[in-house]
Amino acid sequence: MNPAWRHPSFGAGAVLMALVIGAALLSLVWTPHDPAAMRIMARLKPPSAEHWLGTDQFGRDIVSMVLVGARNALLVGLVAVGIGLVFGVALGMLAALYRGRFIDEAVMRALDFVFAFPAVLTAILILTWFGPGLVNAVIAIGIFNIPVFARQARAATLQVVAQDYIRAARLAGLSRPAVMIRHILPNITGLMIVQGSTQFAFAILAEASLSYLGIGTQPPNPSWGRMLNDAQTYLATAPHLAIVPGLAIAITVLAFNLLGDGLRDLLDPRMKER
Amino acid sequence: MALFLIKRLAGLVLTLLVAALVIFLVLEVLPGDPAAMMMGVSATPESVAALRAELGLDGPAATRFLDWLAGFFTGNLGLSYTYRVAVGGLIAERLAVTVPLSLLALGLSLVLGVTLGTWAAAHAHRRSDLVIMGLTQLGLAIPNFWFGILLVLVFAIGLGWFPAGGFPGWAADPSLSARALLLPAFALAMPQAASLARITRSTMLETLSEDYIRTARAKGLSRGQTIRRHALRNALIPVLTILGLQFSFLLAGTIVLENVFALPGLGRLLIQAIGGHDLILIKSLVLFYVATAIIVNAIVDLAYGIADPRLRVGRT
Repeated sequence: MNPAWRHPSFGAGAVLMALVIGAALLSLVWTPHDPAAMRIMARLKPPSAEHWLGTDQFGRDIVSMVLVGARNALLVGLVAVGIGLVFGVALGMLAALYRGRFIDEAVMRALDFVFAFPAVLTAILILTWFGPGLVNAVIAIGIFNIPVFARQARAATLQVVAQDYIRAARLAGLSRPAVMIRHILPNITGLMIVQGSTQFAFAILAEASLSYLGIGTQPPNPSWGRMLNDAQTYLATAPHLAIVPGLAIAITVLAFNLLGDGLRDLLDPRMKER
Repeated sequence: MALFLIKRLAGLVLTLLVAALVIFLVLEVLPGDPAAMMMGVSATPESVAALRAELGLDGPAATRFLDWLAGFFTGNLGLSYTYRVAVGGLIAERLAVTVPLSLLALGLSLVLGVTLGTWAAAHAHRRSDLVIMGLTQLGLAIPNFWFGILLVLVFAIGLGWFPAGGFPGWAADPSLSARALLLPAFALAMPQAASLARITRSTMLETLSEDYIRTARAKGLSRGQTIRRHALRNALIPVLTILGLQFSFLLAGTIVLENVFALPGLGRLLIQAIGGHDLILIKSLVLFYVATAIIVNAIVDLAYGIADPRLRVGRT
């Protein structure tokens, strides 16, 4: 067995993540009820054999909504991290390539500036144009992720560039871009994956906050954050509605945080050897 | 030193100006006609023109931008479209909730985070360390607004110790007002405290392996005395930097938690302004938040540069 599975954080994170991905995949083929179907007669029902976790104020089945919500959350994380990773790594490596020169200074200053805008505020700026929605929320979170990845990529690239084998590759006649792609990129991938895991967790939390505020995912798409907003209205009469979506967010975020921590530990000895 | 200060200050002013310009372009120039956008599609051209005149949106963009910037010093930030009152007054009034809420949360997260982190480092790899580290993982994973809802469920609806939401106002009932801020501040502080505890633990562990700690122990100080007198001060410097960096998360958190607890602060005002398409109000509020985040980061940077001259050179 691969020793990675024996690392407690990595193992626990992997198990929880399998759970979340399993729920998302399951929702593609099966949910106990149609998550969008409203049954006014069965509104705000407590858990029962028919509805395992009860129903919301429109009589929608909570289990079905939470399952479909997993799909929503994973999609958000994937796209927001993808945006941050692609642009962030490209810009960070570019800055490192021109270290100390104008491009480096300009790129990093611009990214520091982007970083000063909390994701919620970027989302608000974007939605004044296009209206509230999942896509805008994801773009805003992705934009916030760019400087995070860029700083890491720049620092990591500078570390790798100083190695002898990079000089050897340059002497062997490889162009700078070729060295970047063939030798540096593979060497910083591990670090980027670790950061990606952490940012994945951040993206899910940020989308949940935005949807809770009503400026993220819009109905009828089920979103855990949105479900918590709805649940708050009925907190005194139907408290069970406020438990499950929050638990789902917490489990997903925990999964990616643990996975990231585990990966960082597992990659660490190799980083020291270099 | 003077050159360092001037350079940093110039950089700060420039950053603030660019931030204001970006916000202004996004909210007032790029949408075309903000008056039409605020009134919606059903508005007649005459009423849109009237609103444009009323809100001072009919001048050239450059003049409006400069007027808006000047407004941050004179307090005249224009009229809110939805409230029809001065934006400057609205913001000032709401600060009485948001500022105490953020400071309370900041204080709570610092005290909780440093105490738990130090305890965990002092008992590294023992049971209490594992429990604290487990709790911090939960603290990082639980969304602050859900934690707020759970606190309401237990302490407001269940036990009735705190109000479930709302804010009577400092003048009307100071003690109830303070109590109304406790649960939201605690929910806001929780994720921050969790990450501060983790950082405190790791910097503290590093500090505790230093030679001067062994010297302090060798001269007869107890472990607790060594930590309090020698280790804590050194371990806290990186912790304070992280606290500064996290300030923008804290600020964003107030937006969410003011909405959970129906507190009449800036964050609730912002979400209401979005609901009412009140671009005039959104513009000043967003700049206010961003400027606060930028200024706090600059202060932390500056403090760090003054404390450690090696950091004045800039990026490495």
